[in-house]
Amino acid sequence: MTTETITLESTRFGTLEIPHEAVVEFPNGLIGLGGRRYALLARSEDATFVWLHSLEDPDLALPLTNPWRFFTTFEVELADDEAERIGVEGIDDTAVYVTVRAGEELEDFSANLRAPILIAQGAGHQVINQAPDAPVRAPLFAENAPEVAA
Amino acid sequence: MLIITRRPGEKVMLGDDVVIEVIEVSGSSVRIGIDAPRSVPVYREELWRAVKDENEAAAKAKADLPQDLPVKQ
Repeated sequence: MTTETITLESTRFGTLEIPHEAVVEFPNGLIGLGGRRYALLARSEDATFVWLHSLEDPDLALPLTNPWRFFTTFEVELADDEAERIGVEGIDDTAVYVTVRAGEELEDFSANLRAPILIAQGAGHQVINQAPDAPVRAPLFAENAPEVAA
Repeated sequence: MLIITRRPGEKVMLGDDVVIEVIEVSGSSVRIGIDAPRSVPVYREELWRAVKDENEAAAKAKADLPQDLPVKQ
């Protein structure tokens, strides 16, 4: 079995060889940002932040996180027409991520719970979460944030 | 920007596939109906803008994000 890789050019991380399985196609791009081909990069299995990195623009990459890691009661609720559009039945086989706005201090880090990114079988969609209490800027570390350990 | 006057029940076509219909005008509110192919996402502009802003802000993150953070309980 050959493990073919593709080359990803990144201004942040240099030139990376990534497996095909890491590629995610976004038929509609990210909301307001566009881009169709991205790759999901993680330093390790349990990394707090993973990167959604454009395969088309070396500058374009967004940190994502698993929302349940920080928000245990997080829920995704899709409007019927959107669920139909992206063809997602349940989220059992779907990975759910939220974008992360990084800040100088940990207190300034937030996640967008309103527009999660769903990834299944190599296809990704950024959707509008209809669940109540899903702000666009939910602080990741509310108070007593620990020191940054970069 | 193209500006056209329509009455309730009248429609505007965007290309061959997207139909925008004025349903009802009431005071300062206008109800519109949008008929678009399933592949075309439709957003309220203010929400679209808020998400776009967050995506752009996220894309400004530097490569050295903190690792192995303790998780908020």
